[in-house]
Amino acid sequence: MVENPEFKVIGFFCNWCSYAGADLAGNMRLNYPADVRILRIPCTGRMDPLFALKALLEGADGVMVSG
Amino acid sequence: MARVGVFICHCGSNIAGKVDVEAVARESASIPGVAYSSHNKYSCSEAGQKTIIDAIKENRLDRVVIGACSPKMHENTFRNTIRQAGLNPYMLEIANLREHVSWVTEDRDAATRKALDLVRSAVGKVAFAKPLTPGKVPVEKRALIIGGGIAGIQAALDIAGMGYEVVLVEREPSIGGRMAQLDKTFPTLDCSACILSPRMVDVAQNPNIRLLSYSEVESVGGYVGNFDVVIRKKARYVNESKCTGCLECVSKCPVRKIPNEFENGKAMRRAIYVPFAQSVPKVPVIDKNHCQYLLSPDPSTIEVKEGERKPRRRCGACKIVCGQDAIDFEQQDEFIKEKFGAIVLATGFNPFDHSKYGEYGAGRIPDVITALDFERMVNSSGPTEGKILRPSNGEKPQRVVFIQCVGSRDEAKGVPYCSRICCMFTAKQAILTREKLPDAEVFVFYMDIRAAGKGYEEFVRRAQMEYGAEYIRGRVSRVYESDGRLIVKAADTLAGLPVEMEADLVVLATGSVAREDAFELASAIGITTDSYGFISEVHPKLKPVEIPREGVFACGACLSPRDIPDTVATAGAVAAKVGILFSKDFLESDPMVAEIDPFKCAACGACVAVCPYSAITMEEFRGKKFAKVNEAMCQGCGTCTAACRPGAAQLKGQTDEQILRSVEAVLQW
Ligand SMILES: Cc1cc2nc3c(=O)[nH]c(=O)nc-3n(C[C@H](O)[C@H](O)[C@H](O)COP(=O)(O)OP(=O)(O)OC[C@H]3O[C@@H](n4cnc5c(N)ncnc54)[C@H](O)[C@@H]3O)c2cc1C
Ligand code: SF4
Ligand code: SF4
Repeated sequence: MVENPEFKVIGFFCNWCSYAGADLAGNMRLNYPADVRILRIPCTGRMDPLFALKALLEGADGVMVSG
Repeated sequence: MARVGVFICHCGSNIAGKVDVEAVARESASIPGVAYSSHNKYSCSEAGQKTIIDAIKENRLDRVVIGACSPKMHENTFRNTIRQAGLNPYMLEIANLREHVSWVTEDRDAATRKALDLVRSAVGKVAFAKPLTPGKVPVEKRALIIGGGIAGIQAALDIAGMGYEVVLVEREPSIGGRMAQLDKTFPTLDCSACILSPRMVDVAQNPNIRLLSYSEVESVGGYVGNFDVVIRKKARYVNESKCTGCLECVSKCPVRKIPNEFENGKAMRRAIYVPFAQSVPKVPVIDKNHCQYLLSPDPSTIEVKEGERKPRRRCGACKIVCGQDAIDFEQQDEFIKEKFGAIVLATGFNPFDHSKYGEYGAGRIPDVITALDFERMVNSSGPTEGKILRPSNGEKPQRVVFIQCVGSRDEAKGVPYCSRICCMFTAKQAILTREKLPDAEVFVFYMDIRAAGKGYEEFVRRAQMEYGAEYIRGRVSRVYESDGRLIVKAADTLAGLPVEMEADLVVLATGSVAREDAFELASAIGITTDSYGFISEVHPKLKPVEIPREGVFACGACLSPRDIPDTVATAGAVAAKVGILFSKDFLESDPMVAEIDPFKCAACGACVAVCPYSAITMEEFRGKKFAKVNEAMCQGCGTCTAACRPGAAQLKGQTDEQILRSVEAVLQW
């Protein structure tokens, strides 16, 4: 925790919309907190509740699903 | 044990400026499974790719993580790179260190930590990757073009010119689009019909082109190379193969007072009509909402008392005069189902609805007209046979005032963007006014003059210098009637003075907006529009005519407002792209599709129910039931995988194991 002052929020982002949206945020150089780590999933339909549980069990501070 | 190679890209200073790439590469070396790690100034460059290939070979790496820009940029590039090193192209993961880290993070240390986490996650995922092989699907070498304006016409001719079959679907009775409504065209002032009509005729005569006018696309299924499309051919009540285009019927039709859409409602047509004289096809259409015959009740549905005569259908004059027996009141909408390899959108634009500008009296004051009304007015086949007249009294105007940017660059009432063509068509219309009415004065109110194009600035200068159009920089605040003339109130922003002048005719340079149903059509095809309703392209610079759904392309003003030269250029570009697609007999299908292990499958049918593409069916083999994926139909969404309780369905390249490992890895503190 000392090494990582940020929270770790795991984002499961749909490849077609939100992931592309996060890319766009990058293209527009919009700064946002570094706490979120975005994982690309092919579609929110791929989202298994198990993934969110796994993240929380591994110590994630939050889970975000977007699509 | 996997042997993962990690390559961190500087992307010049794009990533290295915010992320300590050396530290990330160094730390990566100790991630379990990583056998090699390094960093590189530009991984995507030829030299960068060679470094990767060499490192794979020298270190016997069997899978690769590249920390670079978004996978949407270079995933395919790097798949090719590792293929050249002898690896399966799917043994690759990309950590998005640019769009998701360096470009969005202020703090260098935080960015570096985030970058390392993303690399860890990618390593965790790629460690469980399996080699994948794309399938092969045949390409149906026929193109569907939706919209028969100049964009669709040009694309059709170019694709047909390469020897491929084209079906051109136009919803109006004739092709031609907006260009057919124009009089002369900037910047050369050639007559629109003279340059357009020959191409329309070429479309009709080209053996590779099948024109379906008065038709619309109902639904689109399938995928690149194999789209399944249903087209509705609306009943026109005239048999196209019998009709010779003599138009005898039109002259006999008694219903005369229907505003002609082609003339912007400023002239009348009959119930049976062609929109304009050069219509292609030259086959009339019966407007069922106005035809006396079709509106009268069908006698076969009417019960009458014995001895009474059944009422007869009214009119039917066209049927009586047609020497070809081409009128067919029994015609029904026809649904045509066909396969296409590529789909081209060329559905164009609409002029902005000026009635939102009440202060200009738009729609209320007859002598305030739109630019498109003006095009029809100066056109010799238009409602006034080419004479510029005041609609209120039919007299020649002494002074014509043009107002630019009506709807454009106006966030309050219109749209924020510049419609690009209005400065130019206003200059054109100013010139035409002075040519036709040498004694009339012409004033143009503008915000800025945007005349970037070959010969464009010169054209606007000509309107001012040679033709004496008076340009005033400033926004008009009001137009109102007074004593039979119009008063235009404005501010001259260069002189810093208010202006008030009388005028006889005011022409509004209405901006360009998307077609009202553009979003609906896009949704039916499974593509997106921007917030204005213009079709979104893959990349505005490098893929300007490609659409995010593979095999779908777009050209012309449905992408954004544009003039004819730009429209024709994009139509040619589309044809080239379709040609590239059709030059192949087979396409590689994405191997990231679902597969179902029949031994694990419990035959519960959950996957069949959730698959949005109906790609899963229940099969039976020796008495055992199991679900099976049709790989050609699967779009790789993974919904079945999430729904399958026994874990029988797995999306290749995105298996449960891969995703769980990547979650685990990203959370290693
Ligand atoms: C007043 C005015 C003056 C202009 N003057 C000039 C000029 O002088 N020089 C110049 O270069 N440009 C000029 N332009 C611009 C020019 O009109 C456009 O560049 C051109 O029309 C764009 O062609 P397009 O084929 O993309 O779209 P459109 O002309 O809009 O054609 C689209 C076609 O698609 C059809 N369609 C739409 N939706 C569907 C659907 N769902 N299914 C089937 N068919 C559909 C429509 O019926 C139409 O036929 C002017 C524009 C205006 C408004
Ligand atoms: S009269 Fe018959 S042949 Fe002539 S245009 Fe009308 S429908 Fe066609
Ligand atoms: S991955 Fe999606 S499209 Fe493919 S079979 Fe499963 S649910 Fe259907």
